[in-house]
Amino acid sequence: MNLLDLLLLLSLLTVVLMYFYGHRREAGWLGVAAYAIQLLVLIKLYSYMQSDRIIVAHLSFSVMEHILIWGMTGLGWFFAVISLGAALFASWYTAGEWQDTQKNMRLQHIVLSLNVFAMLILLCSQDFITLFIGWELVSWASFFMMTHSGGKAAKAAYRYLIYAMSGAVALFAALVLIMVKLGSTSFSVFWAALPTLPDSFLWLLVVLFFIGFSIKMAILPFHLWQADAYAETPGANASFLSAISARMGLFALALVLLQPVGIERLQHLMMPLFTFVDARTLLAWIAALTAIIPTYIALQQSDARLLLAWHGIGQGGLMLLGITVGTPLGVAGGLLHAFNYATYQGALFLAVTAVLHRTGTTDLDRLGGLITRMPWSYVVLLLGIIGLAGLPPMNGFVSKWLIYKSLLDQGMPLLLVAASISTLGTILSVYKLIHNIFLGQLRKAHYEVKEAPWSMVLPMLILAVIGFITGLMPGLALSLVDKAQMALGYDALPHHLGGLEWKTGSLNMLWVVGILIYGIAIGAVVFYLFGGRSHKTHQWDNYAGGHFLSAEVPYHYSHNFYPGVMRVIGGWFRHQTLNVEMGIRHFVQWSAELCCRLSQVAHPTLYMLMLAVAALAFVG
Amino acid sequence: MDTGELLAKPDILPTLNLSELALDMVLMPLVAFIVGLALVLMMRKVRASIERRVGPPLLQPIYDIVKLYSKKTQISHGYMHDIAVMMLLGGYIAAEIFIPVPGMDGLASHADLLTLMYLLMVPMLGMALGVGQTANPNGSIGISRALSAMLAYDVPFVIVVAGAALVYGTTNLSEIVSLQQQQGWGLVQMPLLAIAGLLAMHAMMGKEPFEIYVAPAEIATGPMVEMSGKYMGALFVMQCFQLYTIGVLYTTLFLGGGTQWLTFLPKVFAVVLFSVSITNVFGRYRTEDAIRWLWKWPTIIALLGLAFVVA
Repeated sequence: MNLLDLLLLLSLLTVVLMYFYGHRREAGWLGVAAYAIQLLVLIKLYSYMQSDRIIVAHLSFSVMEHILIWGMTGLGWFFAVISLGAALFASWYTAGEWQDTQKNMRLQHIVLSLNVFAMLILLCSQDFITLFIGWELVSWASFFMMTHSGGKAAKAAYRYLIYAMSGAVALFAALVLIMVKLGSTSFSVFWAALPTLPDSFLWLLVVLFFIGFSIKMAILPFHLWQADAYAETPGANASFLSAISARMGLFALALVLLQPVGIERLQHLMMPLFTFVDARTLLAWIAALTAIIPTYIALQQSDARLLLAWHGIGQGGLMLLGITVGTPLGVAGGLLHAFNYATYQGALFLAVTAVLHRTGTTDLDRLGGLITRMPWSYVVLLLGIIGLAGLPPMNGFVSKWLIYKSLLDQGMPLLLVAASISTLGTILSVYKLIHNIFLGQLRKAHYEVKEAPWSMVLPMLILAVIGFITGLMPGLALSLVDKAQMALGYDALPHHLGGLEWKTGSLNMLWVVGILIYGIAIGAVVFYLFGGRSHKTHQWDNYAGGHFLSAEVPYHYSHNFYPGVMRVIGGWFRHQTLNVEMGIRHFVQWSAELCCRLSQVAHPTLYMLMLAVAALAFVG
Repeated sequence: MDTGELLAKPDILPTLNLSELALDMVLMPLVAFIVGLALVLMMRKVRASIERRVGPPLLQPIYDIVKLYSKKTQISHGYMHDIAVMMLLGGYIAAEIFIPVPGMDGLASHADLLTLMYLLMVPMLGMALGVGQTANPNGSIGISRALSAMLAYDVPFVIVVAGAALVYGTTNLSEIVSLQQQQGWGLVQMPLLAIAGLLAMHAMMGKEPFEIYVAPAEIATGPMVEMSGKYMGALFVMQCFQLYTIGVLYTTLFLGGGTQWLTFLPKVFAVVLFSVSITNVFGRYRTEDAIRWLWKWPTIIALLGLAFVVA
């Protein structure tokens, strides 16, 4: 039994453990222990992760003369670290007071462990069949995670399921095509054949894979399902889902299509009719649009969880954009962004859940001024949004910088502009998030609100601090990314603890953060040494238009926070994709009803007769 | 995880003269402050001469700062309000230290143009958070407008930055300066980008016609509405930094940077003078009009410039 066997076994045992002990109060702590042990095993595996080495599990069986094996490479390992980390913090969050508010905590524990297990299986896939098996496991596991709280959540999960099933069909079709054409389902045969595959066949494969994988990632135009489904999931599991679940699509897409040989081939794969556009450019622009459009949809949301979930979709676009650049810099940026995103998005979801726990709402029009009541949650949210917005000193900045830089180096300035437009929208949107929840007027009803208990504050605070530390010292996270990058077949990005020395402009976050802190310290010295003492007023002591304002008057400026921007871009949102989705839904419904009516209501015998006559005529 | 391998690499801390570093870190903010004061004075003098007034005396900006810092009533609305004041000075101070100026570019290689672009948003975010805690609706409206304006002017600005980075082939600011010393100013190499950049930078200064977020008659000076005493003083200092930073950044990108202060400073003043001169003849755009204008003309010019660069 090797370490990978141990990992998979431990993960399966966690599921069993949760099945029997999930109803106990200490189940959250059990989960923490279980995921921590698995994480330790993963850390132990770190040194085994060399560029051309695979740790093969003893789990193996054969289907139709194909021997199925599972094994782990650096790429799977990298995503496994994020998954287990996210599960650890999610489980920790449920360990304390939060679980008392949940209807069915046992189910939540079980689906979390099930998701982790399914993801590990997927991340260990070694050919197309195991990939498909893992893919289905993950799809169903996340469906259970989304659906179990019922109501709106079940509805959103059902929508996801329909998307996921269509994706699975596409994936299966691709698998069959490969099997027929190449006679093998192993990745290496496929990659070896890639340069010589005919264009038309490859287009078909690329489209099928794209549909299959990007549905999970909610890449445009399959972005509609994700925000609702993630936002309606109970807090801790939502943080897990949004931190890592959608990244499985990124993993699969990178694994199958975006190796150096794949990128090379895609660059020579011209679009039919538009022969000046190659497949890689097309993919990069789809990724860029995914980074922009969902971000500006997020800007319009008035629910904190929906807002974050929409941003998650946009950030996924940035990761894909980085990887499609196909240089060590770009791939490192994309993968690092997956890691960084998991840290701040996890923290953000947990912080918003803490607000929900204390106030009972995440409606951005019904909150405000909580900074004095929940200071730690505020700090977490602040660090989280700086990361999400991609500003120094948080880690989100570093990965975005790598992506911007790689786009510049490759001479793709318009994509850089697109990525920056996404960042600008994010800044606007996250300020609205923090302003509407924590700043501004405190509602009278929230006067007695207390900070969330430490069992909830600590995990999210640690996540946020990890975000800060990997922002200060991106080298730490980049050395994890190296493993994934080398497994994909790219050169590792030469880096040091603070960033990288690059010939066209370097980044050293140790200096950037250091100088920023130094500047703030000077600001503090100026603030405290010069000028008189400041007098602290009560939060409710305020005025506007020459009148004193009291708590009775709601004056929090929250609804439609950016009217100027919306007057310009508001008309651009025409719900095209939503309309297409609705059209397809209605068509399917209509045709199903038609079939039903034809077979049951009308005259089946008549149709049989007609069919028989037609068949006879055909044969005759 | 073997961090040992990481730490073993020698170039984590570059070989930087300690005295040079200290000079950079102490002198740069000071120089920026003093030059910024002069820029503010120039701004007022120009306005006065357009309006046929005498204008303020030489030391008026200093008097103003002293006055603001020595006010008796200084209202704090909570800890974020205080931290915001530090953040908005800190962000600019950090930016000053990283921008190469004659004789002081020891740290410029650690943060490039892209880093600087996003570093300059930190003070903006700081101000936004502080104003948010003051809980005055006028302040929040001001911030909403300021961020909308940022979305508007940063689109052409990003295109300009991307184009400039492509022309120079680097985002290292010291190298950009030395390249211009050899090949001639960026203004000559990419006139369209330079024009678009100037327009975007003008909007960045938040003067007419892009001062909707202050709009004194309408939202009672917006973000400044709850700022009293030294809070207001810090905003004043920030304005000095802001004018200086924008002038220096533009000079570095398009006007050849500087090898010595005597030729460098006039360029900085010229950039700010351009903005200050056109600002006084304009009224105020509404937010949506400002966005439409900035997304139209500067963006079109910048895109044309970019097309020339790529072609």
